[in-house]
Amino acid sequence: MLANIALIVLCAWTVVSAFFVVASKNLVHGVFWLAAMLLNTAVIYIALDAPFLASIQVILYTGGVITMMLFGVMLTLRQSGTIIPNPSQHSPGRATVAGLFGLTMLWAIWTTPELAAMTPTTSGSADEIGKLFLGQYMIPFEALSVLLLAGMIGAIVLARKGDA
Amino acid sequence: MIPNPWLNGLVVGGAVLAVLMTLGALASWWERKFSARLQGRVGTTILGPWGILQPFADAAKMIQKEDLIPRDADRVLFYIAPLFPVTLVLGLAAVIPFAGYWADGVWHGAAMVADVDVGVLFVLALSGLMVFPLWMAGWASNNKYSLLAAMRAVAQGVSYEIPMVLAALVPVIASGKLSVTGVIAWQAEHGWIVARLPVVGFLAFVLFYLTSLAEANRIPFDIPEAESELVGGVITEYTGIKSGLFILSEYLHTLVASAVATGMFLGGGHVPGLAGLPIWAQVVISLAAMWFKTLALFVSIYWIRWSWYRFRSDQLMELCWRYLVPGGLGLVASTAVAVSLGWV
Repeated sequence: MLANIALIVLCAWTVVSAFFVVASKNLVHGVFWLAAMLLNTAVIYIALDAPFLASIQVILYTGGVITMMLFGVMLTLRQSGTIIPNPSQHSPGRATVAGLFGLTMLWAIWTTPELAAMTPTTSGSADEIGKLFLGQYMIPFEALSVLLLAGMIGAIVLARKGDA
Repeated sequence: MIPNPWLNGLVVGGAVLAVLMTLGALASWWERKFSARLQGRVGTTILGPWGILQPFADAAKMIQKEDLIPRDADRVLFYIAPLFPVTLVLGLAAVIPFAGYWADGVWHGAAMVADVDVGVLFVLALSGLMVFPLWMAGWASNNKYSLLAAMRAVAQGVSYEIPMVLAALVPVIASGKLSVTGVIAWQAEHGWIVARLPVVGFLAFVLFYLTSLAEANRIPFDIPEAESELVGGVITEYTGIKSGLFILSEYLHTLVASAVATGMFLGGGHVPGLAGLPIWAQVVISLAAMWFKTLALFVSIYWIRWSWYRFRSDQLMELCWRYLVPGGLGLVASTAVAVSLGWV
């Protein structure tokens, strides 16, 4: 019961912080809301007994993604002061696309039949996840790492085009 | 460990908090005394014996000081940034077993707030978050020195996290455990990592120690607050207790990083000859051993700080990416080979 209430509060707070990621007028605040949202997701993982996933979420997403976003914010816009306006405001086209996406999501959620409660097939420990990655799911796992490597090389090539 | 996790969290958590906060405050007095001795001065002498009450007077002074917020600062971020560094560092301390004992031939951790079975990852995750408050403060101050310092802090934090993870992987691979208690228990049984893995263990320890220094922004890695270049770094615009919190967090970070390095590489609270003693005696001795090792590392960090020069920003990046990252990869690879060949 207590765990359910905690989970509901966590989920609500995650949705609130996700809302402020897009609703912030100052992009820098949006980035910090995103950090809060990703951290919340990690806490939800802990509440669901998946501490390994939670730690990885913090290291990869909260730590990594946010740091890259900070660099993005700082390097792309050149202006003075602490406020970076969100350029996506007052744009009917973007609002339409976002609205359509939201409607599709709502439709998908409403038409999905209620799922039965499931028990996890593994305990979610690092040990078991590691064995699955390097056993049953070896090929998808390695294919993903090659994909990420290709993405990284692509980013370096694009970023250093001018240097040559 | 007290069986009830809530009670354990309250009692042990309270004790760890009290000890760390007191030591963090005393560390500032100790550093002043120590640096004074290195430079042929006497340091603090007025308040209390050897001036030991100075940090408490400093704290009282800082709380009373006027709290200024610059006119063009981002008020919200400026206000909340100082709350995070101390909180994050104290969170790190939650998974460190500060003592231990033998029971049924297995080493158990004691005096720890939570025995998380992915404790090492937890430590790495929280250390990775340490750049956030620095960046937040640097940006919100709307001051060019603060911003430059924040840029340096993010660049340094992101870069040195990688060799730090690689160094932490060496004890993890050797012991096959992801929890800090598990790594220490393995070391109690098979020998400390620094000695058990010849050369590789010692090099990994040095790497972990160096990268911890970088994460805690201590010399020779303290370019985010290089006072000769950046005035006061990210805390340039902060006054009173807010700047005090940033300064306290650095002492605490150095202390906790020393404790983590002790647990990962120096066997934590384990010392030979404990088996067979009554449990309470083992806990007391291992608690003393843990703090002895931790404080020895802590002293060496400040020894380096007061006798070494500061690297330039680009030299720091070069050191990390040209030498520490490839070196770390080599250490991980050789540990993996040694483990799979059954040498460890």
